[in-house]
Order: sequence, then structure tokens, then C-alpha cells
Amino acid sequence: MDALSSLKLMTMPQMTAGVNNPLQDAAVAQAISPAEMQSLEAGASTPSASSTQPVYSFQNLLGDFVSDVSNKQAAAGEAVNGLLSGKNVSLHQAVISMEEANVSFQMMVQVRNKLLDSYQELMRMQV
Amino acid sequence: MINILPGIDSTSAALNAERIRMDVVSENIANVNTTRGLDGKPYQREQVVFESVLQAQQNSDALGSAPQTVQIARIEKDQRPPIMVYNPSHPDANAQGMVAMPDISIPEEMVDMIAASRAFEANLAVVKDARAMAMETLSIGKH
Repeated sequence: MDALSSLKLMTMPQMTAGVNNPLQDAAVAQAISPAEMQSLEAGASTPSASSTQPVYSFQNLLGDFVSDVSNKQAAAGEAVNGLLSGKNVSLHQAVISMEEANVSFQMMVQVRNKLLDSYQELMRMQV
Repeated sequence: MINILPGIDSTSAALNAERIRMDVVSENIANVNTTRGLDGKPYQREQVVFESVLQAQQNSDALGSAPQTVQIARIEKDQRPPIMVYNPSHPDANAQGMVAMPDISIPEEMVDMIAASRAFEANLAVVKDARAMAMETLSIGKH
């Protein structure tokens, strides 16, 4: 799974953010694979160096982040359900978890925008 | 989990504590005329005792010390003796016609209530500002 396909996780049914068509294209998604981004950033000429690195790649980071946001959404839903069904959840807990979910979702949207911007910038580049 | 709203854990705990304090104040006001509590004696005024809790540190490389949150340590009975009021027709009056009433002064409870509600408000302001800070920071990326 690469960076852009992990961003596709954002299109869960309850979220309204749509994903543009180009993202469906596997070739396009390959165009900025995280390995390339890493080698660009580090200036490393050997791609094998990044492949031997075990865990903390950009794609894992992004995947963790997206699932974190999803967890926050789920926690907010649970808090509101608990409040409405009379469980021991106070009003401020429910509202705060909703706010946390909202802010982290906005953060994720900003990350997506930045990624898309850089991709489009690359596509506009003259060769 | 990412911690996206700064200081939200302490604030949330404080909101909870102030809510319980409000519960106790309302209990005191509601029982101002209770001559027969659960133990058969006049109701005794209660008050909360706050204590701070050291929260488990989430990431070891975070700056500063671990955040301290607040919680209710215990709810204590006020040991004031009841006020004796002359009211011979009251069912709980003793042989001399005196009734033991709880020593609760409504103004005192009102002051406690105002303090609790202002403290709640202050913590809500922290939540609001933390949210505003996060949203403003996110708007760096917009153009």
C-alpha cells in the first residue's frame, strides 16, 4: 500500500470528502511512491537503502494517522451514543470528543490537499 | 493516538470535577429542610475535596513533566451540629418542641455554586481556545 492508496481510506461512507478520479489510476499512484519521495528527500542514490529500512516509512506514518482519525470519529460517535442513551457520559466529554474528531479530520484533509498539490505540481512540470 | 488539542486531558478532568462539585452543591440546596436523612438524623452538608493526579506520560520524548489532571478525592460531610428550631407541630420535634434542622446557609451554597460555574466556564474557555489554536494552525496550509 502506498501513500495515495492509504489516503483512499478517507472515503469511508460517513465522510463526505470525495477522492478525485486520477487517484484510481494505479500508474499515477505509483508515480510518487513513498520510496521515491524518501530517496528524493534524503538524496540517497541507492533505492535498496530505503527498502531495507523496516517500519517507519512515510506510508506507515500516513496509514497510522488515517486510522487514528478514524478511531477518533468512532470514539466521538460512541460518546454521543452513550450520552443519548443515558449512559455515564457527560455532555462536555461528548462535545470534546466531537471537536477532537473534527479538528483531526480537518488536519487529514489538509494533508491530502498538500499531497494532491505536490502531485499536480509534478504533473505540470516541463520535461 | 495523536494529541491534536493541546491540554485537553487536564481540562476535561477539571470539567468533570466541577460538574461533581455542582452536583454536591445542588444536593446541599435540595436538602436544606431535610430533618430525616438516610441515617434518620438531619441531613449533613457535604463538600468536595479536589486532588491532582499525575497522568501517565504518553510519549517519553514530550517536553516538560507529565500533565497533572484533577479529580475528586472524596466527598466529605461537614461536621457542624444541626440548628435547633422551635416548631412543636413538626413530626420530628422532640419533647421540648425543638426540631433539628441542617445547618445549611443558602447564601453560602450560592457562592459555592457561582464558584463552580465560573470554574467550569474558565475550563470551557480553555477548550474553545485550544480548538481555535488548532484550527488557526491548520489554516496555515490554506491559500
